[in-house]
Amino acid sequence: MRTSSEQIPFRANAVQALDDPALRATLRNITEIFTQKRADAVSSLPFEEWRDQASALRLHVLDNLEDYIGRFAGNATRAGATIYRAKEAAAAREIVASILKDRGATKVVKSKSMVSEEIHLNDYLESQGIEAVETDLGEYINQLAREAPSHIIVPAIHKNRRQIGELFAEKLGADYTEDPTALTKIAREILRQEFLSAQAGITGANFAVAESGSIVLFTNEGNGRMVTTLPPLHIAVLSIEKVIPSLTDLPLFIRLLPRSATGQILTSYMSVITGTRKPGEFTGAQELHIVLVDNGRSRVLAGAYREMLKCIKCGACLNACPIYRVVGGHTYGATYPGPMGVVLTTLLDGMERAHPLLDATTLCGACAEVCPVKVPLVQLLRGLREERVEKGLTPWVERKGMIGFGWVAKWPLLFHLGQIAGRVFWPIAKRIAGDKILGRMPDFASRPFRRRIS
Amino acid sequence: MTRGEIIELFIQNAAKAGAEVQVVKDQEGLSRVALEILKGRGSIFCPNMTQREKALSLPADRCTQAYASASLCIEEVLGAVAETGSLVLSSQAGKPVQAGLLPGHHVAILPAEKIYQNLDDLFGQYGHSPPTNITLETGPSRTADIELTLTLGVHGPGRLSIIVV
Repeated sequence: MRTSSEQIPFRANAVQALDDPALRATLRNITEIFTQKRADAVSSLPFEEWRDQASALRLHVLDNLEDYIGRFAGNATRAGATIYRAKEAAAAREIVASILKDRGATKVVKSKSMVSEEIHLNDYLESQGIEAVETDLGEYINQLAREAPSHIIVPAIHKNRRQIGELFAEKLGADYTEDPTALTKIAREILRQEFLSAQAGITGANFAVAESGSIVLFTNEGNGRMVTTLPPLHIAVLSIEKVIPSLTDLPLFIRLLPRSATGQILTSYMSVITGTRKPGEFTGAQELHIVLVDNGRSRVLAGAYREMLKCIKCGACLNACPIYRVVGGHTYGATYPGPMGVVLTTLLDGMERAHPLLDATTLCGACAEVCPVKVPLVQLLRGLREERVEKGLTPWVERKGMIGFGWVAKWPLLFHLGQIAGRVFWPIAKRIAGDKILGRMPDFASRPFRRRIS
Repeated sequence: MTRGEIIELFIQNAAKAGAEVQVVKDQEGLSRVALEILKGRGSIFCPNMTQREKALSLPADRCTQAYASASLCIEEVLGAVAETGSLVLSSQAGKPVQAGLLPGHHVAILPAEKIYQNLDDLFGQYGHSPPTNITLETGPSRTADIELTLTLGVHGPGRLSIIVV
């Protein structure tokens, strides 16, 4: 659904999502909980100072990205890793598949990686006869249901416990239960065998450290640790902008990422992995391959929207967004949903395909307010929306309507008449159109705002 | 911060993350608390490398070298971070880092003098050549993937006990 070059049908998707009361209840619940937890976690800390520091540091890395990637690659190689650079998604997929094929691997375990979703790695591996088992509980649920993630931190949050119970009964032959603890235990037992028998592990990375050649992984479940310590072969697939200069910069990002994502001081596990197992060690893969994916990022870096690449993929802007909160992740029809997703998808996939997503904003700025690295999301969204108008990509009715409104707004008398006409004809138009979107629009106020405040 | 305040902060944050923390004065206290935790917990993996580990007097018939199938792992850890309530594990400790991950219950022996005040103190020491694997363990394995309901022990241990000596 995401590989096609067709326009993303955001409006049609949104209408569907708005008509799903179960989904809306779930979304309201999770976004409110996450927002509250984040707010509690950042209070009484010099959080603003940390955001400024992190923003400046991320920008510094972007300004010198080639240099930092070079240093990362050199130091990772010195520590025993093999580095690959993939310009496009297809190249990245082929590199991963050929590493696995060369070693006769037919089954791999994966820990959650958004960039592997972006390049559609699992489907490709399957077409090459390699089974990739997702081991993050949410991703495992999505894989069983053959669905895409709907949130970058809690990927199966669009499903409720009954749906998951039914899914496990149908796909795994488990006795039906809707108890999250029992469901988790079922997955634990099946996946434990997969960890112990897998020939290779695939992960993403939250950060790549230039000065030491390390990759850094945050997980709560422990699957990231399993995937990187049990199989003899580890392949890490990450996008090029994940680099930070040195291990001494890591504490700053440790302080920002989990607090912004889930409101935790730190996730249950965080691993810094540097190369392959050395003599005298009992942990570490025998082979570590690191695939650095560009997939359009160099182009973004050279353009006016480069600050988007400061993003550390915490998901805070999703939870804060009034649009995401009512339509959920699948409505965006893209790998990355929410405010960061709208911008990143438009930049990576192109305006022609992704421009309908630019409707998915109120420009209220709640996203930018919670962003731990101060990505200027509102400016980026506004810039892209202006470009969309300039390219004539907005719907005909909207374009003409805006011209008409501009004209009417210049003449107080016309404007006043318009208000009266609106109050009379708007409810009739809504009824006649019977359109779901129009039907949801609010009515005109019985007294204009101007008169209510005077 | 004084040593006492650092220890106090660590205990607070580790408990917040869901770890069960106990403080003992000496080896005798350690052995007593450890045996209490081990009571009725099935097979035990212990690296048996450090002084403190060796002096535990574990029930020999329940000890195993196969950590992947043990029900509990008891080990002395390299250190901890007070700021986050985390334990510090490393591949340079001469034992597998994953030994504390696979069993359902991880029991960590933590010498109080090895608690770093903050993350900067920890990550300031590695420079260009850190060990292959440094892991911070903060509380038990957890997920909220099903309706944001907190569930412990997804893939890693569902219980984390820390004995501060």
